[in-house]
Amino acid sequence: MKWARAALVFVAVLGVVELGLHVHHAKKSPNAEDWSRLAEAVMQERRDGDVVVVAPLWADPLARQALGDGVFPLRDVARPDMSRYATAFEIGVLGQTSSELGGFRELSRRNAGPFTLRRLENPNYIPIVFDFVDNLEAGRVTVRVTDPAANCTFTANARPIAGGLGGHPTFPKKRFECPGGFFFNVSQTVIADRDFRPRRCVWAHPPNKGEVVVRFSDVPLGNVIRGHGGMYWMIEREGRGASVFVSVRVDGMEVGKYEHRDGDGWSSFEMPLGAHAGKKNAVVEFFVSSKNNQHRHFCFEADSR
Amino acid sequence: MSCVKLDWKDDLVAAALAAFVMAVLVSTVGNLGYARDEGFYFYAADAYGQWFELLFKNPGAALERKAIDNAWRVNSEHPGFVKSLFALSHLLLQKKLHVFSMEGTSYRFPGIALAGFAVALVYRFGAEVRGRMAGLFAATALLLMPRFFYHAHLACFDVPIVTMFLLSVYAYWKSLRHGGWAWPVATGISFGLALDTKHNAWFLPILCIVHASVLVLRAKASGRDPKPLLHRALTTLGCMAVLGPLVMYAFWPWIWHDTLPRLRAYANFHLHHEYYNMEFFGQTYWRPPMPRLYSLVMTAATVPMVTLALVAMGLIVCGRKEVKRLRGEGTHHDDAGVFLLWLCGAGISYGAWVFPTTPIFGGTKHWMTAYPFLVLFAGTGFSYLATVLRLELRRSKLERLRQAARGILPVCALFALAIAAPVAETRGSHPWGLSSYTPLVGGAKGAASLGLNRTFWGYTTGAVVDYLNREVPKNGTVYVHDTSWPAWEMLSKDGRLRKDIRGTGTVHEAMFALYHHEQHMQGQEYQAWVAYGTVQPVHVAGIDGVPVIWVYRRK
Repeated sequence: MKWARAALVFVAVLGVVELGLHVHHAKKSPNAEDWSRLAEAVMQERRDGDVVVVAPLWADPLARQALGDGVFPLRDVARPDMSRYATAFEIGVLGQTSSELGGFRELSRRNAGPFTLRRLENPNYIPIVFDFVDNLEAGRVTVRVTDPAANCTFTANARPIAGGLGGHPTFPKKRFECPGGFFFNVSQTVIADRDFRPRRCVWAHPPNKGEVVVRFSDVPLGNVIRGHGGMYWMIEREGRGASVFVSVRVDGMEVGKYEHRDGDGWSSFEMPLGAHAGKKNAVVEFFVSSKNNQHRHFCFEADSR
Repeated sequence: MSCVKLDWKDDLVAAALAAFVMAVLVSTVGNLGYARDEGFYFYAADAYGQWFELLFKNPGAALERKAIDNAWRVNSEHPGFVKSLFALSHLLLQKKLHVFSMEGTSYRFPGIALAGFAVALVYRFGAEVRGRMAGLFAATALLLMPRFFYHAHLACFDVPIVTMFLLSVYAYWKSLRHGGWAWPVATGISFGLALDTKHNAWFLPILCIVHASVLVLRAKASGRDPKPLLHRALTTLGCMAVLGPLVMYAFWPWIWHDTLPRLRAYANFHLHHEYYNMEFFGQTYWRPPMPRLYSLVMTAATVPMVTLALVAMGLIVCGRKEVKRLRGEGTHHDDAGVFLLWLCGAGISYGAWVFPTTPIFGGTKHWMTAYPFLVLFAGTGFSYLATVLRLELRRSKLERLRQAARGILPVCALFALAIAAPVAETRGSHPWGLSSYTPLVGGAKGAASLGLNRTFWGYTTGAVVDYLNREVPKNGTVYVHDTSWPAWEMLSKDGRLRKDIRGTGTVHEAMFALYHHEQHMQGQEYQAWVAYGTVQPVHVAGIDGVPVIWVYRRK
């Protein structure tokens, strides 16, 4: 009967412990009031240029609701990676830290109620000279297709189009519209990459034949052109599509070629600029193509640093 | 194991339990939004309802093939029985009698009533096998499983199949115990109703054949004559084979014509079901191989820990009795192999999820037919511990404790201890049933950190209607995301959502956008960011501080 007595005590204790744990988990901070009080502490601690990261990731919408677009600009929330930031500001709850900041060095730490606020610096930071996604605008940029040759017209006030449930990313009102229908536009959008992370990028669906060419003029250059390419997750994961190629030319000379295969996910490329390094106003062209353009919902981002 | 003979008082307790469950569910249904699949079944029920109206007015016209096919083609990938109940409930209780304040409740009521019946049946089964305390605890534990509690509200098939599955198993067990014709016929009819409820019923013949075979072999091994048992089992299986398909045919007009091709299409739909997405430990699974431990981990993460501990206790108690019986020790007569039957009932319900090809998109609901058997073991475990408690108190040196052992108070205290956490967890889970997790994984926050599915089916729209009613301008538009159209429209018909608020299928057509969080749905949120030029939600709602649904507003 010893084990039976032990079982009786175990169940009785478990009942109490489980109830206590349930109450503890349900009431555990942060709650809505904690989030609404967070703004003041963030204003005190955060510096201009800090990218704000929330850990764990599921708390991110609460932080965005509490702190708004000023603290969470779209370009940071849908960042390509962390390498472009000199410093980061982490809002941690439940003692969690972000794996994205693994290589960063802690500068300061402060507890604010249930939050742990940390400033960190990137030891490998190299300043960005030019961001191609930020600068996708009429005036500096022209877009054309090569076969048959045609210019893609810029419109600043098109009707935004979103794909809805299971559909394509939103095509914003500012976009270059190429022949072939609304999928064949070039615009700033945000895709959910293979791992469902948001990535702000240049939508560039390759045409049926030839290439779509995105041409940037007056581009100051660093030593490399660096970037990422990816596709909407539902298409990427099927692994059935043809490769997408991006050829990058500076002042008419190819400096590198990137191939995106389905399944690669949000994959990076880096192209040394050699003799073009340090130029103050180069012409940079991205030639995007695919041997079979069916469902090639390709999106890329690039910078020079 | 000697079984308890139940009397009118047990019928009264069972009826009271059923009534209590139905009252609780009806009283809590008002703030629970409509699940995606409910929307499809509303639509089907309306089509069937029109056919029933025609049947009552003009039976000849209703029985023409064209009328049958037009009505019953809708949602013909699922059998018709439970949807017929939704339709009849809507026609009778709402359109004629105006019983409910919200139209949606009339569709949900048959599911709610069947949930009440399931709890009552668990009481009877448990009480008959292991005593009233076991039955009462088992019935209570079933109601206090947060996921069961959620599904029990819905106009879906998941709780109805739990009920029909359990009813079939109970009738089969009674057939083996009592023989004769009444229970075998009841088994055949209940099996037919189960077949006409959901395809989980396909497992019932396997369960019964395996169980009967083991009992016959066991009888042979112990030197008893297996013929009476074999005769009863074959009679029951025969009734299932004959009456099951007949009942299914009778209650599903869709198969009255082109029977075999339509049955084949129905079977193929489920045997080759599309794989949807489901997050498990941070990874979205969408094609085989599926994680083999999914069903067990999700059960552990969503069924109260104390209930699981008592299930384990019950299994030990039953296992020990079985070993003693096999050794010929004691006086444990178990001629209908009830513990083995419960084990088979739970085992076969989980069995399909051992295979890596079985889709996991439905979360815990797919193996919910196991839960009545789990709680019957829990009831057995509880009953045993109640006995231990009484014995311990009788041995006490304190007279007061020895006196207390004779009363009901110690057992009531143990009962309260064992259900306190399940009560709190189930209460706390509403109306976020699919987002609730037990303390074993750290509750909702822990589950979110572990990457367990946050929600699915788009039903949490019901949790933000107050915000929408307050903030959306007159004739304003809302992107409904994962909410199905009939589910959205039902919120409006109910009067829960302002009638002038219009739903849209894309964010760019709307002034507000809903986002129900699932890992693979995050692109929907990003669509709103670009369309509205903001990443700041204007409203976030969820469970225990974990966001489940949030709303964007065009800037």
